Amino acid sequence: MRMRIPISAAGVVVLSLALVGCGSSDTGSNDTVETITIGSIHPLSGALAGVGKMMDDAVKMAVEDINARGGIASLGGAKLRVDSADSQGQPEVGQSEAQRLTSSGAVALVGTYQSNVTQNVAAVAERAKVPLIIDVAVDDAILQQGYQYTFRIQPDATGMGKAGADGLAGLSEQAGEPIKTVSYIHIEGAFGDSVFAAFKAQAEAKGITVVREVTYSGANFNDATTQVSEAVAANPDAIVVTGYYPDSLLIAQAIAALAPDIKAVYGIANGGFDDENFPGDAGAAGEGILSANYHYDATSDVVADIRERYQQKYGTTLQTAGVLSYQAVLVIAAGLEAAGSTDPVKLRDAIANLTLDDPLLAFTGPIKFDSTGQNINATAIVMQIQSGRVEQVYPERFATAPLKYPAVPVA
Amino acid sequence: MADKQSPTQAAVRARIGSVPVPSGGLLTTASALAVLVVLAIVYAVGGQSPQLVTQAIITGILLGGVYALVSVGLTLIFGVLGIVNFAHGTLLTVAMYLAYVLVTSAGINVYLATAIVVPVLFALGYGIQALLLNRLMRPGHTAGQLLVTLGLSLLLANVLLLIFGGFEKTIEPPVSGNLRIAGAIAPAPRVIAFAGAILIAIALTLVLRRTRLGLTIRAVAAHAQGAQIVGVDVRRVFALTFGLGTAAVGAAGGLILPFLAITPSTGEQFTILAFVIVVLGGLGSVRGAILGGLVVGLVQTVGGLYLPGTRALLLVFAVFVLVLLFRPQGLFGGSS
Repeated sequence: MRMRIPISAAGVVVLSLALVGCGSSDTGSNDTVETITIGSIHPLSGALAGVGKMMDDAVKMAVEDINARGGIASLGGAKLRVDSADSQGQPEVGQSEAQRLTSSGAVALVGTYQSNVTQNVAAVAERAKVPLIIDVAVDDAILQQGYQYTFRIQPDATGMGKAGADGLAGLSEQAGEPIKTVSYIHIEGAFGDSVFAAFKAQAEAKGITVVREVTYSGANFNDATTQVSEAVAANPDAIVVTGYYPDSLLIAQAIAALAPDIKAVYGIANGGFDDENFPGDAGAAGEGILSANYHYDATSDVVADIRERYQQKYGTTLQTAGVLSYQAVLVIAAGLEAAGSTDPVKLRDAIANLTLDDPLLAFTGPIKFDSTGQNINATAIVMQIQSGRVEQVYPERFATAPLKYPAVPVA
Repeated sequence: MADKQSPTQAAVRARIGSVPVPSGGLLTTASALAVLVVLAIVYAVGGQSPQLVTQAIITGILLGGVYALVSVGLTLIFGVLGIVNFAHGTLLTVAMYLAYVLVTSAGINVYLATAIVVPVLFALGYGIQALLLNRLMRPGHTAGQLLVTLGLSLLLANVLLLIFGGFEKTIEPPVSGNLRIAGAIAPAPRVIAFAGAILIAIALTLVLRRTRLGLTIRAVAAHAQGAQIVGVDVRRVFALTFGLGTAAVGAAGGLILPFLAITPSTGEQFTILAFVIVVLGGLGSVRGAILGGLVVGLVQTVGGLYLPGTRALLLVFAVFVLVLLFRPQGLFGGSS
């Protein structure tokens, strides 16, 4: 009996120390704030683990860079820290991780690379009243539910579809061989369906008809020959592809093997075609492939520096998806500066009114969110794989190399 | 065949029937005919261009070859040992990464690397059974084995993730280019993998039917206790069988690597289908695994012309249920 009192006293002391040490993100005041937690939700395991870890590392690097520059000035130099979560590529896991993060003091979330996972995380963010900055997730539907707490930096599906259709029509007309018909191969689910629907609507306005739509499942997909054969059977001028990296690689290989009589292979919001690892993996099958997608600003020194330091620190290349994650942290930091508070509600309001100049991406203006949370100046540009490198080719103002068209890869 | 057999002899003979017997030939012909009839219908009234159907068939056969490669090892493990080996797909991934390391660091031809991977995976499988699973092989205690293999699968996949990271890894196939079969393309590495599947099936069947080890394995599969009574070291045979099954998966990994980009989760996509194929073909039947793999591959690609994406799997499972309705032991399953 006599031992119990010292133990419970020790317990109370330990508990109070823990509570004090936990940080004050729940005090909501703007003095004596030590560390501010940002939650990062990405697929760190499963088929998309490669790109997920890259994005998570980019979030960590952005936080380190901001801390090195003195942290959040308006909060007395408060430092940021990252709480990383693995969505495992599954909506339910992303959802439960988001709940864990928001209830343990994260003032903002960054994520998640997949539209279906992001949908669930956005719902959690809305209920918990914690802002979610989407680095990558394209589905329009996420921001069409009246959510106030979700913001997206990248173009949405409509933006992608529009930029994709405009790009395809523009570059083919410019070269004197306009595209009139396309077959569209896309992954099933929120990601592929949303981009396809947006492209179809915009393409019709541009005089391009979708003659065949071929869908495939991302799970259990290890040979694209049948899908590509179906697309080719409809005799299109070009084949359009929307999918993630592994499936797009298989599709590119199948197209090269079938060697169809088409003018272009054109990705829209494609997770593989403008990834710098893709030319190495695809080899000759990747040569000439076009990709309409978001892209980091290849003409910016700031971006070049970030990518260089990332390469040195992590040993892999920082792709655009990672640059978007880095950008998301910058948006949160700017919001914290403007709000002068760690209260997620005030942070949300600050972000909603933000104008962030010199985005790290090839956009047409500063980052500014409309009433639904969509960045109004987000755009996609067209890239092309030339001699094993990813070049920006269209529109002119972003071009780093001249467009090669028609361009069809052969094995 | 003796004129008069004791009941035990008759029972044992009936059980050993899980390996191809004279009626197996009839079954193979019947199944092949059924497949041909369905394909003919697809050509005639399917509403797709013949060229497209031909391509789907060729791709389906090649895909079936890949499935067969993966399933042939599992039919031994599941069929003989009764172990629900959830680590099967992950062991495939291990084999693929091992082959990848050999190819990229030592510059060996991938098919040569396969020859190295096979004994390594045999040792790994032997070790898993001898050290881990044998301790759990008590009648009625299958839950333990299932959980251990599941845990092993998670462990191996995440160790691979830790070592290699999540980005896709590819190798340059030593033989590339495409063959033209009936106007459809067949990529050379996949054709080689298909040939490999047939070779492995023949090798395994020979081991099972012509060697003493094979006889012992079949005896243990028929009646483990009876085999023990006649002096067989059953636990050692279990380990050898698991090793043999894993060695087959090792060969599969090396043969598949040339045309598939690998990540630590690549092999897992095959696990569930491998179980479907093994049950479809009959537990313990190598011929069943080959035929089952071909059937599933064809249903996926040809069926995918009508029900694209995930819905093609609906057809696969429908065929699976149909076969089991008429033949619960699977196409070549033993008669008990």
